[in-house]
Amino acid sequence: MKKFFSNLSTPKKLALVAILLGVVAVFAGNPYMGSEVRVNTKDLALTTVKNSDKIKPLELADWIIKGKADYTLVDLRSDDKFGEYFIPTAMNIPLVQLPESDLLRNQKIILYADDDVNTAQAWFILKSKNFNGVYLLDGGLKKWQDEVLFPKLAVNASKEEIAQFEKVKEISKYFGGVPQTGSTETIDTKVQMPTPQVTTQPGATKTKKKKREGC
Amino acid sequence: MNAPFFKFEYFNFDVSLIIAFIIGIGFGFALERGGFGNAKILAAQFYFSNMRVLKVMFTAIVTAMLGIYFLSVIGFMDLSLVYVSETYIVPQVLGGLILGFGFIVGGYCPGTSLVSAATGRLDGFMFVFGVIAGIFVFGEMFPLIENFYYSTNLGSLTLPQYFNLPYGLVVFFVVMMALGAFAAAEWAEKKFADKNPENSL
Repeated sequence: MKKFFSNLSTPKKLALVAILLGVVAVFAGNPYMGSEVRVNTKDLALTTVKNSDKIKPLELADWIIKGKADYTLVDLRSDDKFGEYFIPTAMNIPLVQLPESDLLRNQKIILYADDDVNTAQAWFILKSKNFNGVYLLDGGLKKWQDEVLFPKLAVNASKEEIAQFEKVKEISKYFGGVPQTGSTETIDTKVQMPTPQVTTQPGATKTKKKKREGC
Repeated sequence: MNAPFFKFEYFNFDVSLIIAFIIGIGFGFALERGGFGNAKILAAQFYFSNMRVLKVMFTAIVTAMLGIYFLSVIGFMDLSLVYVSETYIVPQVLGGLILGFGFIVGGYCPGTSLVSAATGRLDGFMFVFGVIAGIFVFGEMFPLIENFYYSTNLGSLTLPQYFNLPYGLVVFFVVMMALGAFAAAEWAEKKFADKNPENSL
């Protein structure tokens, strides 16, 4: 047997190895199932501490304005809440339907809900399913309202703060928000704020072109 | 450590370019060593007198397939993260025919023409120039053919999906197909040896 093998030419040896591996492959099963779910807890903890998994609301606003299309924004709230208001470019996948969603593992996914809790749960579900590009909108829709839609300027704001506010004002108007310059009745205005402010057309941004890859 | 490394963000985009550069040099070196910088060898493929292209390409396919398959089975690699380009069947068949026509006329495919030019062959340089001119013309007329270009989309299709067969079985069939092709190639080379310009020299 050994002699037979050593008498073969190199191509024939390689061909034999290929046949062997091919035969093993028939019984080796499905490669898609082969990678079992392993949660790297240290990795998770590190990303959490470094905040590298969070997107700031103003950063997201900037991306939407610039028309960046390399991410998928997912609204985790229920259908009717989504109907009331959603961040432009978002698609609605309620948390319960998330495990069965057809999100792709190689997409950059940004999650948001009303606050951080539901978002964090969804983040963990996707992370444990081996999705690697999962991010959360820092502070959820609440912070989006506070920072993007209805930013406030403090009474004793410094020069830098005022300059920054001027910038944010423009962003806020783009999303149909109302910048708050008044400082005394902040709590008052806040109550009437969360009215739906969908000024950008939602349907138009739904069909996103996938980033092209490969040769 | 799990593959694919870039998708798991073990390195960033800038580093990926450096790695691509190194792999590219290796690829070019392998093509040149395989004799793919020579238009005569490449063109002989179409007269069945030198089947080196088929042998090298099919060997590369089988090697990559077996590697990817077994690395995924043992869980080192996440196959679902590997990009599969989409199939637009009619435009791609037409594009394949045009490329094949150019391959026979010019003696190179785009990759091998670069290898040829890198080794200083003048026909390689001319071919690269033609490729660039073709890209320019294609880019300019793209709005006219865009609808056709994106027509008959079948999605990111793989053979196991299309034939609805177990993945491992398709691996086995492709290995067998390759070995059959190698045997046929050896036979053809003997049969058409008289048509090979290298033999008549």
